[in-house]
Amino acid sequence: MNPLENFRMAFESLWGNKLRSFLALLGIVIGVFAVTAMISLGQMATAGITQDLEAIAGRSIFVQPNFNEGQDFSTAPIREEDILALQTLPASVIPQLFTSAQYEARPGTRRSIQLQGTPGDLPRLDPTNKLARGRYFSQAEARGGLAVAVLSDRAARDLFPGREAVGQVARLFYPNGARLELTVVGVLQPPGGLFGGLGAAATVYVPNELIWNTSPTARKGQYDFVVLSLKKGADARQVTRQVQRIFEGRYGKGKYQIASTESFQDTLRSITLILQALLGAIAGLSLLVGGIGIMNIMLVSVTERTREIGLRKALGATSSQIRQQFLIEAVVLTLVGGLLGVVLAAGLLLLITATVPFFKVFILNPATVLLALAVSALVGLFFGVWPAARAAALDPIEALRYE
Amino acid sequence: MTPVVQMRGVTKVYRSGSGSRTVEVRALAGVDLSIYPGEYVALMGPSGSGKSTLMHIIGLLDTPTEGEYWLGGEPVRGLSEAQLARIRNQRVGFVFQAFFLLPRLTALHNVALPLVYRGLPLAERLKRAKAALEAVGLGDRLDHLPSELSGGQKQRVAIARALVQEPDLLLADEPTGNLDSRSSDEILGLFDALHRQGKTIVMVTHEPDVGARAQRIVRLRDGRVADGGMV
Ligand SMILES: Nc1ncnc2c1ncn2[C@@H]1O[C@H](COP(=O)(O)OP(=O)(O)OP(=O)(O)O)[C@@H](O)[C@H]1O
Ligand SMILES: [Mg+2]
Repeated sequence: MNPLENFRMAFESLWGNKLRSFLALLGIVIGVFAVTAMISLGQMATAGITQDLEAIAGRSIFVQPNFNEGQDFSTAPIREEDILALQTLPASVIPQLFTSAQYEARPGTRRSIQLQGTPGDLPRLDPTNKLARGRYFSQAEARGGLAVAVLSDRAARDLFPGREAVGQVARLFYPNGARLELTVVGVLQPPGGLFGGLGAAATVYVPNELIWNTSPTARKGQYDFVVLSLKKGADARQVTRQVQRIFEGRYGKGKYQIASTESFQDTLRSITLILQALLGAIAGLSLLVGGIGIMNIMLVSVTERTREIGLRKALGATSSQIRQQFLIEAVVLTLVGGLLGVVLAAGLLLLITATVPFFKVFILNPATVLLALAVSALVGLFFGVWPAARAAALDPIEALRYE
Repeated sequence: MTPVVQMRGVTKVYRSGSGSRTVEVRALAGVDLSIYPGEYVALMGPSGSGKSTLMHIIGLLDTPTEGEYWLGGEPVRGLSEAQLARIRNQRVGFVFQAFFLLPRLTALHNVALPLVYRGLPLAERLKRAKAALEAVGLGDRLDHLPSELSGGQKQRVAIARALVQEPDLLLADEPTGNLDSRSSDEILGLFDALHRQGKTIVMVTHEPDVGARAQRIVRLRDGRVADGGMV
């Protein structure tokens, strides 16, 4: 007897008992639904986080002096020659300075604001910085240390509430009271996504050269922070190792902190993976319960169909053919349940992508679907073994006598 | 001529209970019997005399505790469960008192059922089943479910299911036991016709007038052949 015949028979007998078959596979439907939805939601969350992270940080490597070593800030600066060495790597090198300044919010009230030194043409070097209005100061302006500024969206609103900032003069003070008058030439777009809040600081971008010339703490030719914005196709891990080699070769181990967006993503990915595994395991429990439900129904079905089994044996079915018949029934039952579960999960995921902004892309991997179906088939096989063995072991004479 | 059924000293002992409280029932106590091709044999005897047990052994649904049995000249002893099933499928057709049709299947599919275990393609199975149903006069009831048929019609479907196997041996255990006298006559007429076509038939019955239609009566008493074993 060929296996297809068995599948046909299984469908016939399950179809003949529609309501019961449906109730029997409900547990599997819920289990597969839960597992599939969990896995896919995890993948969708990872994708969402990764995308948001890339939107604010691109694919970048960050270098800054290591404060944990107990050294003074100024003892381990980043020097011009380090920058020159970094420029051999496949990345735009963006050396920066950080300091803080104050502005007069109302007459008599001063507020702090972040002052950040950058090279000119920042949006070209690092595309995660996008201009909203005006322009970024040029490289020539930057080299000349001109008193020009570009404001973050937040800084524009803080410094010039209700007014267009571009074209205005921003008046700032260093902590020691030194004044700084800057012509605002542009305003940046606010960062979006899940991490938008992180980047929403009030920052005034000015040429590095200007900070060197005016700040009481900054020293010419020394930087606080370097961002390497990776070129397309550059391997983040490899470039990170090269950056490490440059700094360790010059200053020894542990003096500088070197991190990449890739490593943040790795951390995020491993966290979501652990969460996924946990939730998946809980969802897997419902599959177990579903499997026990299947076994229960199959046992009832074997008892109910004692006469059918006896008759089939009298007509020439072997015990192994009977066993096969019931095993395949169980597997067909759980497979149909698994299929329904996957369809339901797909529906839920589509709904979530359509309604929750954080989940931007719908992900349902063929591998996930295959896994779900394979697991449902295995559940049927596993929990069908005992009922099928009972059916196969029935003595045809007893079975035909059975009332 | 090789007998279809040849038995020597066939014994069947049923044991129930366990330990010192084991009860032994000797359903058959040394049966000698031969049945030749084309014979129509009625198996008679009081209730509990072992008729059904003998029938099950003849049809390979059960095996003797002791004694030898040759079916179509081949010894049955030592055959595996799967081999017994195959021989049942190819050489033995059963007709039961309670019909035993699968309620969800149409008459046609019920009749085609034994052929599933021969690995025949569906179209071929249905073709043969249709022919068998026509042979028992139910060519117009192919798509009826058992619940839509009378008792006599159900038994004719069951006979068609046995005939579709083209068996060497047709075994019927009180096939008219659940039927009124008119349907009984119909069924017995059908068996007469099958006998005339040369089929070998063994029929268990209580009723003398049913037995009278057979060629030979084998009488069982207390698990032994009292008369008609013709060895
Ligand atoms: N599985 C069994 N276990 C124990 N005893 C059995 C079993 N099957 C049959 N018997 C006994 O064997 C004997 C013969 O039974 P069998 O069914 O062959 O009789 P029968 O002649 O067909 O009777 P009836 O005319 O009532 O159908 C009876 O005493 C019965 O109780
Ligand atoms: Mg009986």
